[in-house]
Amino acid sequence: MNFESKIQQTISGSDRTIDKEKFINNLTEARYKQKLKRSQAISGILAICLIIIVGIASYIELDQGAIYSGGNFYFSDSNISNSDFDEYNLNNDYFIDDLAIYIIEEEDDIWTAFSFLDEIEYDNFINYMEEES
Amino acid sequence: MKKDRELIQEFQNGDEEAFNELVRRYLDLVHGFFQKITDDEMEAEDLAQNVFIKLFKSLKKFRFESEFNTYLYRVNANTANTYFKRNKWRNILHLDQTDEPSYVDNQQDREWKKEELWNAISKLPKKQRLVVMMRISEMLPFKDIGNILHMSEGTAKVNFHHGIKRIKVLLGIVE
Repeated sequence: MNFESKIQQTISGSDRTIDKEKFINNLTEARYKQKLKRSQAISGILAICLIIIVGIASYIELDQGAIYSGGNFYFSDSNISNSDFDEYNLNNDYFIDDLAIYIIEEEDDIWTAFSFLDEIEYDNFINYMEEES
Repeated sequence: MKKDRELIQEFQNGDEEAFNELVRRYLDLVHGFFQKITDDEMEAEDLAQNVFIKLFKSLKKFRFESEFNTYLYRVNANTANTYFKRNKWRNILHLDQTDEPSYVDNQQDREWKKEELWNAISKLPKKQRLVVMMRISEMLPFKDIGNILHMSEGTAKVNFHHGIKRIKVLLGIVE
């Protein structure tokens, strides 16, 4: 008997049969377990990434334009654009007009009210009154 | 009876029962292969399970460039190779515990234990190990072994020859 046959003889001889249906059930279970583990790992990694991103974004946002003064942090208005500011003013013009009318009406002496509005450099109403007269 | 190709295509279209049919068809071959490598029934079953889990993932992308049989042998060989690497140290320690072979006049006639033999095979270089493993466990022709391991028939023969020579040395067989 040559060496190769002898090796083959050594390793053979234990042909036990296997329950195929049981094996398939075990295989399906193992696959689902592996799938579950993988999805849990992916969720964990995504959660960590999200925390890191939110953390970095918060840090950048809070750090931007903060001015430290007198033990407190103050945020500058540099991150508010001029267009936003103009829009805000435009919307509030009517409110300030109403406020000016209210001051004139409530004040006994109309000239005191005018001088006050002149003092705060609020021209709209004064111009309007001048045009009317 | 459906052909392997049909079953794989059905599986690729989402039919898991087609995969189970493939498992039923090839379980004896895969399990038998690992039974020859390991004496532990549980271990053989675990390794067979690993092979089918790998197949479940890889068959979805299988492009029929080779026969399914060849592909399956390739997965078997890679799984066995990983098993050998994983158990390298365990095998060494295990071998230390085995009894010394009793004295015999002719070493050629001595019966080796299966474990002793596989431990010697696991010490071979990767290519030799894979060729020897496929040849002695599946008794495959060198041409098929070459196909499975992406090498020529001649290279498979040469690797087998060197592998056997080295095994003889490792088993202490004097020619």
